[in-house]
Amino acid sequence: MTLSPNPDRPRVDARQKVLGEALFAADQRVENLLHAMTVPASIAKGRIRAIDASAALKVPGVVRVMTFEDFADIQITPASRGAYGQPGKGYQPMTGPDIVHRGEPVALVLAETLEAAIEGAESVSVEYHEAAEFTALMEQGGAEEAPEVFTRLGHGDAEGAFASAAHKVDVTYRHPQQHHNPIELISTTALFSEGKLRIFEGTQWSSALAGGLAGMIGRDPQSVRASSPYVGGGFGQKNGIQEQSALVARAATIMARPVKLVMPRGQLFHTASYRPRSLHHVRLAADAGGKLAAGLYRTEQQNSRYDGYNPLFGETPPRMYGYPNWAGEDRVIRVDTQTPGHQRAPHEHPSSYATECALDELAHDLGMDPVELRLANDTDKDPITGKPYSSRHLAACLQRGARMIDWGRRRREPGRLRAENGDMIGLGVACGSYKAAMSPAITTLRLQANGACRISLSGHEMGQGLRSVIAAELIDVLGVDPAKLDIRVGDTGFAPQMLTAGSWGTASVAPAARAAALKLRANLVELTGRDDFEGPAYLQLARTRRPMLKVEIDTIPLGENPQAIDDLRKGRPVAAGPEYTDFLAFSWIAHFAEVHVEPSTGRARVRRFASVIDCGRVMNRRTTESQVKGGVVWAVGAALREIGETDPRYGRVLNNDLAEYLVPVNADIDWIDVDVIDEPDTRLNISGVKGAGEVAMVGATAAIANAVFNATGKRIRHLPIRIEDLL
Amino acid sequence: MRAFSYSRPRSPEAAVAAFTDAGEGARYIAGGTTLFDLMKLNVEQPAHLVDVSQLDGSDLIETSGDKLRFGAGARMADIADDETINREYPLLAESLWRAASQQLRNMASVGGNLLQRTRCPYFRNGAGGVYPCNKREPGAGCAAIEGLDRGQAILGTSGACTAVSPGDWPVALTALDADIVVLGPQGNRTIPIAEFYLLPQDTPDREFSLAPGELIIEIRVPKTAAGRASTYHKVRDRESYAFALASAAVALRIEGGQVQKAHIALGGIATKPWRSEAAEAVLRGKAPTRENALAAGRAAIADARAGRHNGFKIDLATNTIADAITIAAERSAS
Ligand SMILES: Cc1cc2nc3c(=O)[nH]c(=O)nc-3n(C[C@H](O)[C@H](O)[C@H](O)COP(=O)(O)OP(=O)(O)OC[C@H]3O[C@@H](n4cnc5c(N)ncnc54)[C@H](O)[C@@H]3O)c2cc1C
Ligand code: SF4
Repeated sequence: MTLSPNPDRPRVDARQKVLGEALFAADQRVENLLHAMTVPASIAKGRIRAIDASAALKVPGVVRVMTFEDFADIQITPASRGAYGQPGKGYQPMTGPDIVHRGEPVALVLAETLEAAIEGAESVSVEYHEAAEFTALMEQGGAEEAPEVFTRLGHGDAEGAFASAAHKVDVTYRHPQQHHNPIELISTTALFSEGKLRIFEGTQWSSALAGGLAGMIGRDPQSVRASSPYVGGGFGQKNGIQEQSALVARAATIMARPVKLVMPRGQLFHTASYRPRSLHHVRLAADAGGKLAAGLYRTEQQNSRYDGYNPLFGETPPRMYGYPNWAGEDRVIRVDTQTPGHQRAPHEHPSSYATECALDELAHDLGMDPVELRLANDTDKDPITGKPYSSRHLAACLQRGARMIDWGRRRREPGRLRAENGDMIGLGVACGSYKAAMSPAITTLRLQANGACRISLSGHEMGQGLRSVIAAELIDVLGVDPAKLDIRVGDTGFAPQMLTAGSWGTASVAPAARAAALKLRANLVELTGRDDFEGPAYLQLARTRRPMLKVEIDTIPLGENPQAIDDLRKGRPVAAGPEYTDFLAFSWIAHFAEVHVEPSTGRARVRRFASVIDCGRVMNRRTTESQVKGGVVWAVGAALREIGETDPRYGRVLNNDLAEYLVPVNADIDWIDVDVIDEPDTRLNISGVKGAGEVAMVGATAAIANAVFNATGKRIRHLPIRIEDLL
Repeated sequence: MRAFSYSRPRSPEAAVAAFTDAGEGARYIAGGTTLFDLMKLNVEQPAHLVDVSQLDGSDLIETSGDKLRFGAGARMADIADDETINREYPLLAESLWRAASQQLRNMASVGGNLLQRTRCPYFRNGAGGVYPCNKREPGAGCAAIEGLDRGQAILGTSGACTAVSPGDWPVALTALDADIVVLGPQGNRTIPIAEFYLLPQDTPDREFSLAPGELIIEIRVPKTAAGRASTYHKVRDRESYAFALASAAVALRIEGGQVQKAHIALGGIATKPWRSEAAEAVLRGKAPTRENALAAGRAAIADARAGRHNGFKIDLATNTIADAITIAAERSAS
């Protein structure tokens, strides 16, 4: 079957979601439930002297107050929070009396009602030994540079080429700490059912949750089932085991009762992951004609003392353009905080912010249009490895986006365009890329002669539209009726579950679903003895007088790693890409921003945005556009609003709620125009899919910052850009 | 949050009696949008709540007499939507619909709005003993003064506290010389809004001139022709759902191209809703040109004292006042 463009289609679960029928992890009805609430540490570093739970135990409904003494047997393993798979890294609060970061849980109160649990938690008094000195920020003394250098990428003689180039920029950009703040809070519910410990948690990786928890609390992995029915925004914050997961699981075993904890948002700012502060030193050089001569890129990322969250800022920028010489290295600075982690386009967003702004500075210095500069340095192969890209339509994205935003009206000199009300208008461009990775999958597909169809496979539905992608392939290949389709994902009881992150969800499940559907179709053809058929497959099945047909299939990205299926079953990280044997694969995007700045107040508003994405074949136009619009909204937040403010004297995020941690509101967003290239990348997989969720955001913040410069003439080299920067 | 008892009387008298009966730990509650928040943060720990959201007639919005009369229980959203108020007193309507969010405005009362507490993060978040705060705990010290003070006040501060008075509506009412009618255990009294809010000085824990148990009944605003040529101009970190970084309530009576009477009050930069007679004096008898508007703005913040990160508020407030004067003057022309 040849690939055809997917028609416009609503999400398969839109109706359930609107009616509230799609149950998230914390929505599950559980009998005999104990509600848990954590007591957060009020110091940033030190040791507990004593915990007095007597007042808490007097609160009616409080059943028990647990402390580190109850959890001393929990093991810290490579699956624990902050370890990122590395032995010797990671941290599990409440396994001892030491406090390593502000806000970590120091007691767990269990009660018959949520209200009692909260009141109980507030009644626990914790006494600490003399407070220890701590360092909250990477700029402070006491911050420690890790000895390792990460992602050292390079080729050619970058220093030499830079030194002798005609035009160069040498600039430093800063990126602040940011917090994901998905609407669905992080929750864990643990109960015993059918002889297994069952965990409900909105996670992006239920296999690692089940297997990892088993290891941490000493159970047979087969006896733990993890279910993540829907995730209400993951964005990387729900990639792995949370600080609370093992505590709740262990509490349920100790109490022999179901236990549920929904961690309040105020605490999540201190316990969950976040995008860390980072510093980006960028040097770019070009010849007088605008041919890039060299790029040098050095970064520092603020980490905790104990985590294994590697900085990978340097991975993508050298792949953007045809740099003949490149040198890059990423470093880590350790302070006393909780572990940071992946947040949508984790390193690609900050690195694109720094390097695409620097490129704008270079274009200005060259007197060259920044779109032209990018087009002049387009490349179809990776400068670092010399391998070709599986596909790259970045030039088309740039050309189309420029038309959409009416780029021709832009003036090189800042401040020349004015709105009727006197606002300064600026136009900015920037590009982005994100690796096109893929995960193996294990799929079971069952079609019944009455049209009912059930598919179980790896993947988590996080609102990105994973179910709709799976449905699209089954509709395309088998003519399945979406109303009769049962899609089972996100649960280790259905199939081994891959980490659904890194923008590889669609590029993993679409080929898996398509391969299963093609196999079933081939079986049908064989059974009916015909060459091929038109129309719904179940009608053919009915003719064979069989009630149902079932196929199972394992898919491995490009068939390159024979170990992959076994690793997937064991809950190990298995995604492949962006480098494959014969090529590198990336999604690409071009962003254009029109920003208006009010001269009297410095208020900057993004009035218009145009983005054109090359993500391979588009599986669902609505969810793809929605991903891009969402990415742009995130970028507006990053450019103009978001910052987790830490007072170094206290080491705690001061604005830890949604009233004070400012994300964009409706009134901040005007027109976002999205277009798609929709060219299948069939070198990559049979569905022709790359990925959209993360690349959507990459470069978008730089486009806004560049537009701010074009409006005001001010290069603001930190985020967010606020009133005081432009006044 | 702690367990508390709760009652819901129907008349103001019964409410005051219920408050008095309950003793020390009593609080009134209307929409709960401030109080519940602070209870969840443990900044407030009332033992008894007297719900005044259902008092008979407390949702009054009366615009026909010689004063505008608003019952303390009237919803922010209802006054923000009132046609007469929008036409005759845009500054009042704007001060409401530019505040909070639609959901909050649907719940919140304009009486409770007068008593909202500061957003100083060290005040709100410190109840676990993390941040010292004189307002929460007199004598404890002030974490904000040497801290992240970008949002703090530049007018009316003291060595003990620099917290901003957060409300928008009180600023508009201050510009228009509103009166607050209260009922207490000792009976009725009327407090001019200029005397309603206290400067922090050495006692930042004392914010309002209300005696314990006094219930706000009504807000009265003298009618003025300047109401039509007015605006509440608010500059903030995002376009909606954020407190002011700087705001100006301006109402002008302009005759023959000259300002005869100006009402100017400021928000977002002061420890209480800030009436600026100095700015009003600068404009009096002058044309509302950009230059004069900026001069008025500069006069308003002449005594400003900035901290470490909020110096930008000086220029921002100056320009915000000037912009507000321009907007109000344009409305006079139309
Ligand atoms: C996220 C958020 C954003 C906000 N943004 C803004 C903003 O931009 N601008 C702005 O101006 N406001 C803003 N607010 C504040 C909001 O306007 C106030 O919380 C609201 O007006 C308070 O009214 P209420 O009826 O809910 O008061 P309640 O919370 O019920 O009460 C507040 C206080 O008033 C007392 N009280 C209530 N009624 C009476 C009475 N009749 N007599 C005596 N005492 C009484 C209570 O005891 C309590 O101390 C925001 C609030 C939130 C939560
Ligand atoms: S400024 Fe006032 S409210 Fe804020 S911490 Fe200091 S004393 Fe408390």
